[in-house]
Amino acid sequence: MNIIFREIRAHYKGLIGWSAGMLFLVIAGMAKFSAIASGGQQAIQLFKTFPKPVLVIAGINGLDVGTAIGYFGVLYLYILLLATIHAAMIGAEIISKEERDRTSEFLYPKPISRSKIVTEKLIAAIINIIILNLITTVSSILAVSFYAKNFSNNNMILTLMIGLFIMQILFFALGSVLAGVFKNPKLPTVVATAILLVTYIIWVIVDLNSKLDFLKYVTPFKYFDASVIINDGHLDPLYIALSSVIIVIFITTTYIFFNRRDLKV
Amino acid sequence: MNIIETKKLTKYYGKSLGIENVDLTVKEGEIFGFIGPNGAGKSTTIRTLLGLIHPTSGSATIFGRDITKFGPEINEEIGYLPSEVFYYDGMKVIDLIKYSANFYKKDSRVISKRIKELAVYLDLDLKKKIDDLSYGNKKKVGIIQGLLHEPKLIILDEPTGGLDPLMQQRFFDLLRQENKKGVTILFSSHILSEVQKLCDRVAIIKNGKIIRVDKISSLAENTHKRFKLETAVRVDKSRFTGIRGISDLVITDNSVSFLFRGRINEITKIIASLNLTNMLVEEPDLEEIFMHYYV
Repeated sequence: MNIIFREIRAHYKGLIGWSAGMLFLVIAGMAKFSAIASGGQQAIQLFKTFPKPVLVIAGINGLDVGTAIGYFGVLYLYILLLATIHAAMIGAEIISKEERDRTSEFLYPKPISRSKIVTEKLIAAIINIIILNLITTVSSILAVSFYAKNFSNNNMILTLMIGLFIMQILFFALGSVLAGVFKNPKLPTVVATAILLVTYIIWVIVDLNSKLDFLKYVTPFKYFDASVIINDGHLDPLYIALSSVIIVIFITTTYIFFNRRDLKV
Repeated sequence: MNIIETKKLTKYYGKSLGIENVDLTVKEGEIFGFIGPNGAGKSTTIRTLLGLIHPTSGSATIFGRDITKFGPEINEEIGYLPSEVFYYDGMKVIDLIKYSANFYKKDSRVISKRIKELAVYLDLDLKKKIDDLSYGNKKKVGIIQGLLHEPKLIILDEPTGGLDPLMQQRFFDLLRQENKKGVTILFSSHILSEVQKLCDRVAIIKNGKIIRVDKISSLAENTHKRFKLETAVRVDKSRFTGIRGISDLVITDNSVSFLFRGRINEITKIIASLNLTNMLVEEPDLEEIFMHYYV
């Protein structure tokens, strides 16, 4: 518990920053919806004239931005990006920070096993992730109902938020496995965010080119694609299973490598 | 009983050698010095013992238990002070020390009392922020976090850097008090004089290998002095011939430098006859001794 408390204290300021960013994104994002909704068909017609690549990159493809949930689906992509970057960074950082800040000679000679240290750190990170998710969920429900008066599809928002949570844990696990494997304590954060952006780009390419459909398993952004979730009405169980397997593999690998390797001091 | 025992302990970092076939035994209740130049393998040995890095081959036990299997249990009774101390940003001294204390099973009231005693003894303000402390005061934080749980084995890796002579004295007294209570101490240093002051036995390590283990008393018989003379005119080399114990003699136009081990009277007679502008007599650093006598 000692390390959990310490890490939560160490991260609370950062979490406040990320939460503020998320609140701004959700509120400012939804505020634009009232403009589009009152502009009626004109704005929607305008979007239809955009070339497909623009629609895909902006996350508009396959969504009806004239409806509140369709519009929120567009916003969801940016929420995903923000929350997964946070998750990847905290997963990488919380494991590698002792080596980066040269505090490993303080912590690791203490009477506690490396596995237990990793466990406490991962728990602290997951608490941070859950808090950011809850803030996103609550602010999304409030903002959508505020700007779209007749909206009653809160269940869809909750479904999307469960998808968000799985994505967060997936990228958090990616960050932690990189920190478990890499000896250089600065690399994991950089590599984790780079992988995140590459998978985002792959998602865009797959959407643009149906021949590359097989790549959809490579990018988690495809697992929780807002347009698909909103049209289906639920998350795809295959992708939930696939995410779970990847998460378990990443976390297990974190422990195995981190226990084995020499620590940098 | 042996508190530390290593058998052919070897550590390679990739292909480069850290330590090779290190055999050490530190007995209960002794203050064991571990000396060698920088990069000789002192820290590598200590970090292996503490489980920060894993041995490539060989084995080691502390308190009779294998270090690779019982790391956390062993560490319960070890206090460690690293050579360079780094702590978490923005923490107060007391917060860090409490964080450290919470890892140990010992009764928290006993630990709190001990923290207060140590802070008074070392003259450290526990309410300050660590970031605001001088290097020497950060070192004191390190000493307190290393000793607060009254460990049975204290491991110190070049611990005196940053401490002024008075505080260094106080720190050594503290270590002697602990030692009297039966605590074993492994003291690593590259400064011969501080090892001589404190230790019973000493191991000398160079290039990753233990080259000698001896009682400090027998090592002290071989004390060498480094003489550095500045002269008004060039001194002829013949002035120094026939004197036993001179080595590494270097003469330039206005300086003479050599290592000396022998009867001081003989050498001072010669020096008195020279036209000196300045003179310095110092303990040679270990590196010099190694170069001339141990290799």
